Amino acid sequence: MIVNTKWLEKYIDIPYSPEELEEHLTYIGLESKIQKSPVDKIRGVVIAEVLDVLHHPNADRLSICKVSTGFDMQDVVCGAPNVAKGQKVPLALLGTVLPNGMELKPVKIRGISSEGMICAEDELGISSDHSGIMVLDEKAPLGMELSEYLSGEGTSIDIDLTPNRPDCTSPIGVAREISILTQGELKIPEIKFKESEESTKDYIDVEIENIDGCPRYAARVIKNVKIASSPQWLIDHLKGVGIRSINNIVDASNFVLMETGQPLHTFDYRKIEGKKIVVRNAEDGELVETLDGIKRALSKDILLICDAKNPVAIAGVMGLGNSEITPETKDILIESAYFSPTTIRNGSKYLGLSTEASYRFERGVDPEGITNAVNRITDLIIELAGGKVCKGIVDKYPKKISPAVVKIRFKRINRLIGIDIEKSWVKEIFEKLGCKILKSDDKSVQVLSPTWRPDLEREVDYIEEVIRIYGMHKIPSAKRLQIQPSHEVDSRYDLIEKLRSILCSYGYFEVFNNSLVSEKQTQFTFKPVKPVKLRNPLSLDMAYLRTSLIPGLINTARWNINRRNCDLQIFELGFIQYFDPDSETHAMEILKFSLLITGALEDEHWGYQTRKSDVFILKGVIEDLTHRFGIESLKFEKCKNNYFKNLLGSNINGKEFCYLGQINQEYLQSEWSIEVPIYVLDANASVLLDQAKFEIRYKPLPIYPAIERDVSILLPEKIPIEEVKQKIMKEGGELLREVKFYDLYHGKNIDNGLKSVTFNLVFQVADRTLKDKEVDKRMLAIHEVLKNDLNAKLR
Amino acid sequence: MNLLDRAEEVRFQFKKDLSKVNIDIQSVEDFRLEYLGKKGYIPALFREFTSLSVEDKRKCGKILNQIKKEAENSIDTLKQRLNSIGIDEDFFDYTLPGKLPRLGHLHPVTQTMNEICSIFREMGFGIEFGPEVETDYYNFQALNFPENHPARDMQDTFFIDDSILLRTHTSPIQIRAMEKQKPPIRILAPGRVYRNEAISARSYCTFHQVEGLYVDENVTFCELKGTLEIFAKRYFGKDVKLRFRPSYFPFTEPSAEVDISCFICGGSGCRVCKHTGWLEILGCGMVDPNVFISVGIDPEKYTGYAFGMGPDRIAMLKYGIDDIRLFFEGDIRFLKQF
Ligand SMILES: [Zn+2]
Repeated sequence: MIVNTKWLEKYIDIPYSPEELEEHLTYIGLESKIQKSPVDKIRGVVIAEVLDVLHHPNADRLSICKVSTGFDMQDVVCGAPNVAKGQKVPLALLGTVLPNGMELKPVKIRGISSEGMICAEDELGISSDHSGIMVLDEKAPLGMELSEYLSGEGTSIDIDLTPNRPDCTSPIGVAREISILTQGELKIPEIKFKESEESTKDYIDVEIENIDGCPRYAARVIKNVKIASSPQWLIDHLKGVGIRSINNIVDASNFVLMETGQPLHTFDYRKIEGKKIVVRNAEDGELVETLDGIKRALSKDILLICDAKNPVAIAGVMGLGNSEITPETKDILIESAYFSPTTIRNGSKYLGLSTEASYRFERGVDPEGITNAVNRITDLIIELAGGKVCKGIVDKYPKKISPAVVKIRFKRINRLIGIDIEKSWVKEIFEKLGCKILKSDDKSVQVLSPTWRPDLEREVDYIEEVIRIYGMHKIPSAKRLQIQPSHEVDSRYDLIEKLRSILCSYGYFEVFNNSLVSEKQTQFTFKPVKPVKLRNPLSLDMAYLRTSLIPGLINTARWNINRRNCDLQIFELGFIQYFDPDSETHAMEILKFSLLITGALEDEHWGYQTRKSDVFILKGVIEDLTHRFGIESLKFEKCKNNYFKNLLGSNINGKEFCYLGQINQEYLQSEWSIEVPIYVLDANASVLLDQAKFEIRYKPLPIYPAIERDVSILLPEKIPIEEVKQKIMKEGGELLREVKFYDLYHGKNIDNGLKSVTFNLVFQVADRTLKDKEVDKRMLAIHEVLKNDLNAKLR
Repeated sequence: MNLLDRAEEVRFQFKKDLSKVNIDIQSVEDFRLEYLGKKGYIPALFREFTSLSVEDKRKCGKILNQIKKEAENSIDTLKQRLNSIGIDEDFFDYTLPGKLPRLGHLHPVTQTMNEICSIFREMGFGIEFGPEVETDYYNFQALNFPENHPARDMQDTFFIDDSILLRTHTSPIQIRAMEKQKPPIRILAPGRVYRNEAISARSYCTFHQVEGLYVDENVTFCELKGTLEIFAKRYFGKDVKLRFRPSYFPFTEPSAEVDISCFICGGSGCRVCKHTGWLEILGCGMVDPNVFISVGIDPEKYTGYAFGMGPDRIAMLKYGIDDIRLFFEGDIRFLKQF
């Protein structure tokens, strides 16, 4: 919300500079920021009067204006449609540099020389308005710099209001807060109008059907007003708070809304049928046309203001076109009401329509401010539009809204804040806030909350007031903290961090991807699942929660490949979700980590060759990783999935743990336009964390030497390496400590259907030095078995 | 022991020849074949070795292997010289780039979260997790966001149905923790949260939070200030100043926002702090009694504080990142910088 210091000063004396005010307000919870005007920096734009407007002889749309700055007269060519004799306007003199960088030089426009420029707001950087030149108040002093003139118009302060403070949605409310700080008196505008003999009662009756939705409704009639445009001060004033001027009556109601925070509505009285206002709920599907010309279908929870026959307004949100003020309006009906915040909020949400009025009603207006606002607008209308004020206000208040009675214990203030605050000061503050002190003793104080502070309901709300006015910055920090750990601590955090850092040590970069994905991406799973769908997504591409981390990783790969970074090792650790009717949230959430590799696995260096990505790189990663988490060797199985070529899967203790493989190239090409091979690993982090065992038992280092032997054989291609290894281990028996597979060769010099493989065997026992003969014997046995069982040929 | 003598001879000769080898590819290869090739001197020694008795083998094996290893190493060194310094052996080009194995990096936001968490963990906070898909009850109602209250507008929400949604903050973890255990409770709740906001340089539909909660018999606002001061000084440097100003969050009363003095301009005003000299970094307050009531903790007996901050935002401030989308693009050139 924007308040202007000049406007604020109407209601309270401000002993602060704008900068001090900004700070004081911020420290009491009204986060404030001074709005710097772009005009401040401009020099050379002065206030001038348009003395005469002549037609440009060579151009229909241009005019030649004679302007005076009080000390000088100039001819200026102007193209604005709204320029008129007698106006005060901002004139940019020759040599001035405007915010857009344009420097004014003498020019000839269609043959007529122009010695300056009358500016529109956009040219001054004030707004984007380029509909015409900026017109200033007729009292603006000639020759004054515009920046100086506008600074006299006060400083605008933008307050970021929190939703608990409806009382501060107006300058009067902000002034009240300032009065607490300065001890100053609030200056409430005087009411001066005189009532006529005719009674409002004879013109209007109010009937409230839904008293919960509308606890209070007040109305008054003013006859014989003259609809006209508003004076410049009012137009400027409304513009300053972002409201467009319509006519004097509508502007008056907006002015009072902004001034007091109480929304008002004005109707053309002659369009109200049957001298009657009925407040009732709409019927489901009831159609109305609001002031903005839009037809809207209502629901039964929306509150309507009706005359004897038809709806005339959606309560607290917007009026209808059928009863609006027009240039022909003579008599007007003023509405000032308290609508229940929930009702207005529901209505505003349902219609997708938020207005200055609904914004205030849904936060809660002051139920005791209703009639004051009627009087204030009446006064203003008489000033602006004349007319006769009917006597009295028809004020229906069937459901009294009582402010809370709250007891505040002084001990409790200390308990929550941590310091003692003087009791008399506390009481004083409560009074300044507008509370009535009902009872007070040494231990506590009982207060009646002010009607404009619906947020003050409980003791703790008042403690907040105490700390707010006292100043949080003045409260000391505890120098010694009580350190009291929780009873239970989730140990998963440490394991997750360990997992992340191990993956980094393998060379993988951590990435984050959006968890919101398209429906198509949710199909990328290893088992069919039903994805979780959002009811109100940002777009169809982000309508589901991800069911796998892999599409996100492929997307990241594509992003990088498109930028010519084709050697990637990346991982993500995060949750995936899918529908699960048995869960409290109807969603199963699984912590996963996935890896993706493509291209070379090392950065290019001089002097050695880099390794290329393949499936076994990922197999190596997951084998080592699980080993580090204390899990016995993984067993892999071949799996099938349409998204993959060569897919492996593995379980840990019967729990599905991971899949790894090469992504199907056709899929990559058609869905992602990726040409290069991509390998991914998908693993369930929860399974890893749950099964992790960190019970490392040290094995004594061998003291007796080992004997190493190689086994090089040719064997049929389709025999798996693991099978060969098992045979070797079996025959090697207890002497064979380790079998390392280290060479695989096809091709040149090897017959079709065969492969050449080499194992390195390490023989060693703990209690003695092995003899060659023992090893030779085992080697012989191994060779025999490989020959006989696997049809292998020794090389 | 003729073999040992011959071995020593080979070793001696090797060293002599080594000093004379020309550093070109052909000479080095010839030299290698002479000693280590199939018909070279060293394999010849090994062939002889196989015919020795077991006793002699034990004596000689070690020495032969040593000679072989030495020869291999020397030849490797020659090859390296061939590769790196070309022909002039006195020239050592120390400007050649270093060779580093590829190491991955943690995401900058993960790093930030870890740094934040570790400071609070030293102060006795334990980490808790919770689901990203939450019920309206845990995300709003139990946190004193009444239904149909404008406070709900503070957090644009993705809904799955009327009562299930994507958590908009990690505060539901606080509720779950308070349901699960009795005070004292001292937890930290890091995690991913969601807001239904259009994606731009300033906002993303998902980001991260770290929240803290401390509930015990004598927890005060002074203690909250002390805790956050320790954190801020540890994280942002010991000269940092804090500014507490009243604010509003439904789940705390009183509530405050905390600004730190801008670490870019030192408080004199710059573009990053929007010329205020202050950077808003976290929200905090004393746990609202309604929150205690909803989890069955007696608000008369216990008090507590809670705070929350956004590691994405903090990382952006710290590293001078002006577009939050960079965190979710996974551009390797970006990630390598952290
Ligand atoms: Zn700064």
